[in-house]
Amino acid sequence: MPVIRNQVRELRARREITQQELADQVGVTRQTVIAIEQDKYSPSLETAFKVAMVLGVPLEQCFQYDPKGKR
Amino acid sequence: MSTGLSYREKTLYASLAAELLVYGPYFFLHQQNSINKVAGMIFAIIVLQVLLQLIIAIFTRNRVTDERDRLIELRGYRAGYQLIASLMVVGLGMLWFHATRGDFHIESRMVGLHFLSVFFGILVMGDISKTVTQILAYRRAI
Repeated sequence: MPVIRNQVRELRARREITQQELADQVGVTRQTVIAIEQDKYSPSLETAFKVAMVLGVPLEQCFQYDPKGKR
Repeated sequence: MSTGLSYREKTLYASLAAELLVYGPYFFLHQQNSINKVAGMIFAIIVLQVLLQLIIAIFTRNRVTDERDRLIELRGYRAGYQLIASLMVVGLGMLWFHATRGDFHIESRMVGLHFLSVFFGILVMGDISKTVTQILAYRRAI
């Protein structure tokens, strides 16, 4: 399990937003959204807040820190 | 161009293609090196890069770059720098080794051309390793 886990895919699906729409609203590329959803890239705090804001949830509901996770 | 590649990835593939196209023959066909050829290659790579980047920019609608692009760019520069620094140490060590053995006369024009070729080659390898590292980072979705 990675250090930073997220529920972006589930929350995005619930709000019926495509990866490209989320990327456009956050100001990142679609490839970055894909990398975040696959837990292969941990975004900066600023981007994480933007993702949570676009998905309409608090940050901790979108991203979770797991101290036992692997980098 | 509606591939799954981002704008930055497309420019990286174009850069790698240009580098291999221009520098490849120089290193693999064992041509007689000269300052004019090195200067010609530098000119060729600049023209080719500008042309390719222009074509990609025209055909790519979404030209957004973000923090992940910048992170990957830095990783590429780190890999390129490490290779250049390592090869420079090896190159200077060999220069010192051969100079102390008296294998060449440092005032000879051919020695100067030889070292121009070697150090230009080191820069090219650094540049290619930077581009390849960035492409691999994108492919691994880091």
